[in-house]
Amino acid sequence: MANNIIHSDQMYIDGLASNNSAIIQSIYKKFVPKVVSYIRNNSGDEDQARDVIQEVLIVIFNQAKANKLQLTCPFDAYFFLLCKRKWLNELKKSSNKGVTISDEFISTNEPVEELLAQTEIFEEKQQLFDLMFEKLGAKCQEVLKLSFTLKSMEEVAEKLQVTYGYVRKKKSLCTGQLTQWIRENSLFKSFKIK
Amino acid sequence: MKEENYIVFDQYLQNGMTFTEKIAFEKQLSEEPEVAADFQNFKEVQAQLENKFTVDAERNAFKENVKSIAGTHFKPNKKVIKLKPWLYLVAASVVLLLGLFVFNANSNPNFEDYNHFETAHFVERGHETTSLKQAEEAYNAKDYLTAIPIFESILKHNKTAEIQYFYGISLLQTNKIQEAEGVFNELKLGSSVFKNKALWGLALIQLKQKEFKVCKEILLTIPSDDENYEQVQDLLNKLD
Repeated sequence: MANNIIHSDQMYIDGLASNNSAIIQSIYKKFVPKVVSYIRNNSGDEDQARDVIQEVLIVIFNQAKANKLQLTCPFDAYFFLLCKRKWLNELKKSSNKGVTISDEFISTNEPVEELLAQTEIFEEKQQLFDLMFEKLGAKCQEVLKLSFTLKSMEEVAEKLQVTYGYVRKKKSLCTGQLTQWIRENSLFKSFKIK
Repeated sequence: MKEENYIVFDQYLQNGMTFTEKIAFEKQLSEEPEVAADFQNFKEVQAQLENKFTVDAERNAFKENVKSIAGTHFKPNKKVIKLKPWLYLVAASVVLLLGLFVFNANSNPNFEDYNHFETAHFVERGHETTSLKQAEEAYNAKDYLTAIPIFESILKHNKTAEIQYFYGISLLQTNKIQEAEGVFNELKLGSSVFKNKALWGLALIQLKQKEFKVCKEILLTIPSDDENYEQVQDLLNKLD
């Protein structure tokens, strides 16, 4: 991993993470048209392209916010292939219809592949996490939410009108429950939690 | 057992342990790989939770921002205007009339609309190499017939992508289509900055000959990070 040199296009990642409108606009101007024409040429329309692009940008945002995204290849390739693969997955999910896929953009470039895999695993983990979080009881969700948004556990206790000891314990156990579900479910998946 | 572990994990992560407790816990981690793995997972979920809640507001702002930028990028092209029934008749006749005038003019893009190649700057002021200066002046004055032979003589001893490119444009302007194609095709294979410009040149050759389909195919090979991509996109839209 020592030779992972960060590409100068990292500025797009940082720009997304900081919600920089100029960067987002330049992504739309420079990189989006190619994605749109790819999706249009592969059984999709402009609205579908628009959705795929937004989803991919949000995944990149999330990964960047978790400080886990260091670009080692051009943004163009990374972004295009993420959109492309997301679109192909949607086609697979939604269709028994005959779909024409033109596949001239296969990447054999290793840094890109590695980065795509990282982002896709990140996204899968995120989805699993969100799903399992929703499964938690309302009380657990509330305690966790307050624990991470209020300044101290004392405040959480006060807000919920319970003792400090109770919220500490509740928070630990709810996080534990979530951890367990995620671990159990990820065993069925193609990836493992580290 | 598990439950107790979770309480301990959280205590450790929140710095809620005494020094001795901490040492004992770290020792346990190093001796019991299963507990260590559980702890790793717990830590990761904790980080996900933190990310979920602390970034929530920012994430929503980001989503909104992306949505609005996407909104201006994808301009609605199908505007539906509701008309009162009787107006349809009026509208239809107006459309018919307009169509007669507009349709022919508007159906396909025109070479001249896109024939805005950049001017040449071969020579810095004060560094005049005569033939380069002459070629530059003739080319910028659109005197292509004069520029062509000068380009040819320069290319004989100094074949650079830049000179080839402007030579190609001069050939295109004087309708030497095949020669121009040859020059751009050679440039297209190179790795110089003129590679995409050569593709654009090739596309315009097709546009000039009203070969709209081929023109479009060439345009689609221009990567979207090209500095003139706006122009490419504009022409592509008109060709659709």
